[in-house]
Amino acid sequence: MSGRRNWISGGRWALGLSALLLVGSVPVGAQVDLGTDAQRETGKRVYDKYCSQCHGDTGAGDGYAAPFLRPKPRDFTSGKYKIRSTPNGFLPTDDDIRRVIQAGIPYTAMPAFPEFSAVEVTGLIQYLKTFSSDFEDPEAYAPPLAQPAAPPYSADNVASAVEVYEQIGCARCHGVEGRGDGASAPTLVDDWGDPIRAADLSEPWTFRGGATREDIYRSISTGLNGTPMAGFESGLTPEERWKIVDFIYSLADGQTEPGYASLVTATSIEGGLELERGEEMFASAKPALLPVMGQIVQLGRAFHPGVRAVEVRAVYDESDIAFMVSWSDIQANRNGENSPHLQVEELVSTASGSESDEGGFWGEEEATEDGGDFWGEEESGDASEGGGDDFWGDDTGDAVATLDADTAEFSDAIALQFPRTLPTGIRQPYFINGDSQHPVELWYVDLGYPDAPELWEGRGSAALTVTDEAPPYVTATYKDGQWTVIFKRSRTPAQGIGFAEDTFVPLALSVWDGFNEERGSRRGLTAWYPVYVPPLETVSPVGPMVKTAGGVLLAELLLILWVRRRVAKGTDSGDLAGSAT
Amino acid sequence: MMNLAVVLPVLAVLIGIRFAKPSMLGWVTAWWLAAWVVLDFGFAVPVPKTVVKEFMGIISLALAAYVTSDPQRWREVREPTTAFLTERKFLPLLVLVTLAIPAAVAASIYFDMTAPAQAPIFGRTVHPAPPATLTVHEVTHDMQTLDNPYRKLEASDPAAFAVHVEAGRKIYYENCFYCHGDLMQGGGMFAHALNPIPTNFQDSGTIAMLQESFLFWRVSKGGPGLPEEGGPWMSAMPAWENFLTEEEIWEVILFLYDFTEQRPRALHVASGGEGH
Ligand code: HEC
Ligand code: HEC
Ligand code: HEC
Repeated sequence: MSGRRNWISGGRWALGLSALLLVGSVPVGAQVDLGTDAQRETGKRVYDKYCSQCHGDTGAGDGYAAPFLRPKPRDFTSGKYKIRSTPNGFLPTDDDIRRVIQAGIPYTAMPAFPEFSAVEVTGLIQYLKTFSSDFEDPEAYAPPLAQPAAPPYSADNVASAVEVYEQIGCARCHGVEGRGDGASAPTLVDDWGDPIRAADLSEPWTFRGGATREDIYRSISTGLNGTPMAGFESGLTPEERWKIVDFIYSLADGQTEPGYASLVTATSIEGGLELERGEEMFASAKPALLPVMGQIVQLGRAFHPGVRAVEVRAVYDESDIAFMVSWSDIQANRNGENSPHLQVEELVSTASGSESDEGGFWGEEEATEDGGDFWGEEESGDASEGGGDDFWGDDTGDAVATLDADTAEFSDAIALQFPRTLPTGIRQPYFINGDSQHPVELWYVDLGYPDAPELWEGRGSAALTVTDEAPPYVTATYKDGQWTVIFKRSRTPAQGIGFAEDTFVPLALSVWDGFNEERGSRRGLTAWYPVYVPPLETVSPVGPMVKTAGGVLLAELLLILWVRRRVAKGTDSGDLAGSAT
Repeated sequence: MMNLAVVLPVLAVLIGIRFAKPSMLGWVTAWWLAAWVVLDFGFAVPVPKTVVKEFMGIISLALAAYVTSDPQRWREVREPTTAFLTERKFLPLLVLVTLAIPAAVAASIYFDMTAPAQAPIFGRTVHPAPPATLTVHEVTHDMQTLDNPYRKLEASDPAAFAVHVEAGRKIYYENCFYCHGDLMQGGGMFAHALNPIPTNFQDSGTIAMLQESFLFWRVSKGGPGLPEEGGPWMSAMPAWENFLTEEEIWEVILFLYDFTEQRPRALHVASGGEGH
């Protein structure tokens, strides 16, 4: 601990406190409460174990994890807190901080700590305050804004809100459909100079301050300090704010949870799978929202992928199958180059604090773009290790990256991954690019070149090659912050995966966000998910039901008759002993 | 793993019935029902329906053999059955039962045929047996004798030990918490996108019952290093030998135990992994 606002150096505190006493007129609502020594002591003990690894020993947001995170862990020395009940630019209340500690901040690294006792949380709050002198300044406090009870949701509001939404300028950052793709969105930075994305309003479960209508109202009123998201307490009347709340609420159909799917079920449709039909073809298909994680398993990691989830729909008829994949993207990046096999360096955001311990950590491996070094100690194979080497593939040298990662621009791209052949049992290929014994195929399209989709074969990340097989047909559109890519292929291709009726075909996706400088190994990906293709003709259960039930009934009657006849004839009388009538 | 909330009550009922001195028919029926309940509901990972049917077939045959192998038992079962099938006073009940059985069969066929298809589930072995030897960064170790080189410092040089633990902490928060969570409960920011989910190290059924050599194997070889029964194709656990030195792997293991306040299983207790 060497913070300039360290409470252990008591002199400063004494000063601050006496200053407080001198200031006779404290503004209304100001409540400078810096806690007791014991509280701060408790807070420091908890902080040093549970918080400093991210927020740093001195609260400067420069902990071990900081270089890998976006948004970065908060720099508490700034006194800027996003989630507050107080007006824009003012300090949070203790309850505001308490809420963050207990509930966490969704879709960021900031975890929830529900297990801490009340004493521990209060201690933490008081200790966090010691990091910023703002908390000693009564002027920095303001009473919470009024938070009226939510009026019932009204669909009428939605239509009239659109006008306000665009007029006041929300669309400039958040985009017309709220997908975070407004004209100024790509230029936004936070107060620490880090790039920040305008929230995707169609995914309220990712809101920092909560997804209920009350939460949204509060966030719009107070704004998020330290970010370009201002407070609209004076810019919008409460009625206007509730209208906008309902508009945002309607973007996700009132969902406050993402409802991730575990299965993609294809729907059979009539009229032929023609790409010209576009999205209309998928009107009856059930959407499956699949969560995307950063590729942080193999070298060239992506710690903060630009895409959080993709929505998948599938339709089929006798001959073909088509998939529609859609996801929010801040910008369509069509210039640049990308390819699944490129092995690129991992992207680490520059540490705002200590640069000293950066760089050396990742060792020499990544200094080169030479595939051989990149995949580490593959040669040290040993059969007893469970065949781990098979998962990297034989690096023949073909797969070595040829692109200069620094100069070229980055384009968006998407790949659907299937096993090369339908797994017979439970065994699937390795979920990232397959393995030597269990190859996968990638239906890959660089969205800079949507007319040139490719069909790749993967036998491990170091063994990815383009095949000369006919790739699927693809159309790609980008509109209002959303990519929609449709793939169509025969259900019974000459080579590669087929989609027979009543089967489960594993699907995994990779998605590259060019704006986030993703390329090759640095990308978002999903786990395996089964795609189910129901039979085109469903067999009615009535036939088998009648037949089997009839058979059973007949057998029963025969048994009863047989027993009755034996008893009547007296054959059984010996055994029945005294009970015979 | 058995589901004790089901198994224990079934056992209690069986014992209770024993004391009630039931007829042979009642006794056999009770056993048949008990076997079915345990098979169908008694396991934490549900037994597939086809397997349940197979086992129930075997159990029915076994009970039949038990009953018919002794003339006394056979009579005790046959007499009430014959009475039920022939006597006038049972007639309404007989009609009911005779109709109920085919109805139940038809209903079961209906539900089988109209149930939405289920993707095959894979019950992976969470802690499969580790290999006998392990090669990491070109050094081959014997798993029987492999131990954390820093562990002894805990007693002999606590200050040096603390330095290694802190190094492990740094490694953990640069590499691991995205999945295993900053509290090591398995709830990291990417955990919701993973299947199987990242291991919860706070759970007493994970690192507390494992040797450090086992963790060294798992951390260095990751998901791809698992044997087939562990589901190597689906685990997102990275093979950390590609990122970390041997020393760093031992240090992060120290930190897992330090943060969760757990102790590794001692080396001499047993060798090999735990099958589950
Ligand atoms: C794994 C990393 C990590 C750990 C551990 C962590 N935080 Fe955070 N924290 C973050 C990140 C990242 C943010 C910024 C989120 C954002 O800006 O949207 C944050 C933000 C915050 C904020 C700011 C909330 C606001 O309204 O702006 C508070 C308060 C906070 N953390 C408290 C804590 C406390 C207390 C602990 C320990 C008990 C802790 N954090 C542990 C990553 C972490
Ligand atoms: C100058 C750009 C800009 C404008 C204009 C803007 N926002 Fe934002 N907004 C942002 C950014 C950036 C964030 C994300 C902050 C973060 O992630 O910490 C955000 C976040 C949000 C959130 C999510 C809050 C949360 O809890 O995470 C909502 C809701 C929102 N804005 C609504 C609006 C509305 C409604 C308007 C118009 C009245 C508006 N914004 C205008 C930039 C803007
Ligand atoms: C990409 C996500 C991910 C990351 C990052 C990750 N793990 Fe894992 N880890 C998993 C998953 C999923 C499992 C459970 C499946 C399995 O056993 O392979 C697991 C299992 C383990 C196990 C086995 C525990 C047991 O009970 O058998 C250990 C030990 C482990 N991880 C340690 C680590 C360490 C140490 C790090 C950081 C150096 C780390 N993990 C980083 C996903 C991850």
